[in-house]
Amino acid sequence: MATHALTVDDATYQEVRDQRLLGFLFFLISDVIIFSSFIYGYIYLRSTVMAWPPPGIEPAALYMAGVNSIVLFGSGATMHYAMEFFKHGDRRKFVGYMIATIILGLGFLGGQAFEYFNLLHAGTSWPSSIYGAAFFTLTGLHGFHVFIGVIFLITVLIQAQRGTYTQQRYFGLTAGALYWHFVDVIWVALFSLLYVWK
Amino acid sequence: MQAAVGTAHVTHGHIHPPPDTFIKKYIFSQDHKVIAVQYFITSGLFFVLAGLLAEMMRAQLASANNTLLSPTTYNEAYSVHGSAMVWLVIIPILTGAFGNLIMPLQIGARDVAFPWLNMFSFWLFPPAGILLFGSFIWGAPEAGWTEYPPISLEQSFGTSMWCMAIFLIGVSSTITGLNFLVTIIKMRAPGMTWTRMPLFVWATAVTAFLSFIATANLSAALLGLLIERTFGVPFYDPAKGGSPVLWQHIFWFYSHPAVYIMILPAFGIVSEILPTFCRRPIFGYKAIAYSSVAIGLLSFAVWAHHMFTSGLAPWVQLPFMILTMIVGIPTGVKIFSWVATLWGGNIRLTTPMYFVLGFLSTFTFGGITGIMLASVPADVHEHATYFVVAHLHYVLFGGSVFGIFAGLYYWWPKMTGRMLDETLGKIHFWLMFVSFNATFLPMHWIGLEGMPRRVSTYDPQYQDTNLFISISAFVLGASMLVFAYNAIKSTISGREAGQNPWGARTLEWMIPSPPPYYNFDDIPVVLSGPYDYGKPLPYREIKADLSYKPIV
Repeated sequence: MATHALTVDDATYQEVRDQRLLGFLFFLISDVIIFSSFIYGYIYLRSTVMAWPPPGIEPAALYMAGVNSIVLFGSGATMHYAMEFFKHGDRRKFVGYMIATIILGLGFLGGQAFEYFNLLHAGTSWPSSIYGAAFFTLTGLHGFHVFIGVIFLITVLIQAQRGTYTQQRYFGLTAGALYWHFVDVIWVALFSLLYVWK
Repeated sequence: MQAAVGTAHVTHGHIHPPPDTFIKKYIFSQDHKVIAVQYFITSGLFFVLAGLLAEMMRAQLASANNTLLSPTTYNEAYSVHGSAMVWLVIIPILTGAFGNLIMPLQIGARDVAFPWLNMFSFWLFPPAGILLFGSFIWGAPEAGWTEYPPISLEQSFGTSMWCMAIFLIGVSSTITGLNFLVTIIKMRAPGMTWTRMPLFVWATAVTAFLSFIATANLSAALLGLLIERTFGVPFYDPAKGGSPVLWQHIFWFYSHPAVYIMILPAFGIVSEILPTFCRRPIFGYKAIAYSSVAIGLLSFAVWAHHMFTSGLAPWVQLPFMILTMIVGIPTGVKIFSWVATLWGGNIRLTTPMYFVLGFLSTFTFGGITGIMLASVPADVHEHATYFVVAHLHYVLFGGSVFGIFAGLYYWWPKMTGRMLDETLGKIHFWLMFVSFNATFLPMHWIGLEGMPRRVSTYDPQYQDTNLFISISAFVLGASMLVFAYNAIKSTISGREAGQNPWGARTLEWMIPSPPPYYNFDDIPVVLSGPYDYGKPLPYREIKADLSYKPIV
């Protein structure tokens, strides 16, 4: 139990938490803008060519990405439950669901690595064509965010185990959960754009 | 009463004791006022370097077929001059320096919402400057400050350094933007409603919004360019299936709002200085505040007016032309409100007021040529000529830089505790104002006659005008020495300013100059708007609890 957290009155804590939450939301918005720019670029480049993917380029497979998506959305669900159990004071289940979230996140990254390996094997590389450029940049940027998210969640879990958060004060956990859900939502857009849109 | 103390007390967000070591106090400071001074000093240094590049260019252009600079060096000079003036001088001074110095004081806050992030975003800035000016070693970028591909894909390593430099500035600008926005939304003193906020804070709020929305696009565009240059991944290269016009779309989706990032804070500065030296409330407070918001929103819908000659379809050009012209309406609302404030005012012609009047005349002129450029048929003729150079400098120099100097003369006493010399200030103004107009006004004419921009040699028919422009440009450069002398003289032997030398009514003038570490010993409670001259002061104070409490 961190004693220093108790030296500040609750009103002050709430003010500070609200500021941090707003700041974090603005950060996420700026991240959405970065993705939007790349998505705009994807649509723009795609609109300039007749065939997508260009002839001779092997596209990414829908079924593999589909399985991977289920893994990622599953991690969103476990994250949600981890948060709920924390709020209700069930520390044991909280830790369990956090670990599940982290493992599913790593699973998604593993699936993505497998997908990349297959594509590279089939000759679709990053610099090979605008298809490769757009595909690997968008999924790579997202994968990078998942990677950062996994580190974020591990940090949050360690801090929770050290007792940094109390049942009333857990901004770091909120931020981690928000970030994880954000990564999920971005994936919905990318999945429809890169795999479903034929 | 006790409850009010409580609410006031929590508005400062972070609480920690004042720093005691030199490094924490002056180098890695988290105090918004020290960070502001750091921005002033670094941007001032970059202003000198970028200004020297401009003088080199004018030396080259003094005669028609001069060989002082090689075409390559000339290209490098104008590219770095433009990039540095936009990203290392005007934006950091207006947001980083003035925003940091004034905004928290004007809203009655003890600091910004995230002081550590504030320090962090300053320290991204000097490395960016070193990268940009250091690019000369490997061959600086040569495609202008916009670095259009595919030219920028074929340049030397310096262009990659340019990408990294601007990326750092972009991150810094995004962080500062969200920091300021949270500060303004969450940390205003009790009683300071949105319509009681000083107009500089309004301008800073809109600027912060633009910074963190628009700049993220720039980061994306730069990331693409850097990836393509480093790994050969095709985004912009038409030979590999990419599209160079894509860069223009994303770049201008940032850089057009950036134009307003570079002018809105100057609008805010003008709106603070005018009522102070007219001794009357600003005309149309709400009109000025809301027109900033209108400009901010419109700025996202006009980017393609930079691309009229890039082969856009006519049905795309038309709405962008109309939307661009509509920006003139909220800007006109501001101009007329300022002029109406002057009308019947008890005007005191101090140096800040001189610069404001200079701003009003030159910026309005630049705005009018902007409307000319917004018209597609005119733009097709004027694009890539000196007319555009003239327009840009009337807006960014005649607008932003005159605004910056107005703000410097106005808030210098608050920042340093000493007055600048008024006589030297007026000499500086007249030298700068006359030589500015002598430099950039003739550029309209040679532009309309067809002299292209971005060339180091030109047809001898423009020789005489160019010689005149170059001589004026040297006088313009020299006028800055008067300011430098004034600043040094003021630091050594300037008159003590006291807390409110101009008799202004915004909150920053209610505390000592320079302000103490926590800004406000007693929490100000705001009772009315900031510009009601002749009425009792619009605030009262309540005793605050200044004990230091850590917050996790």
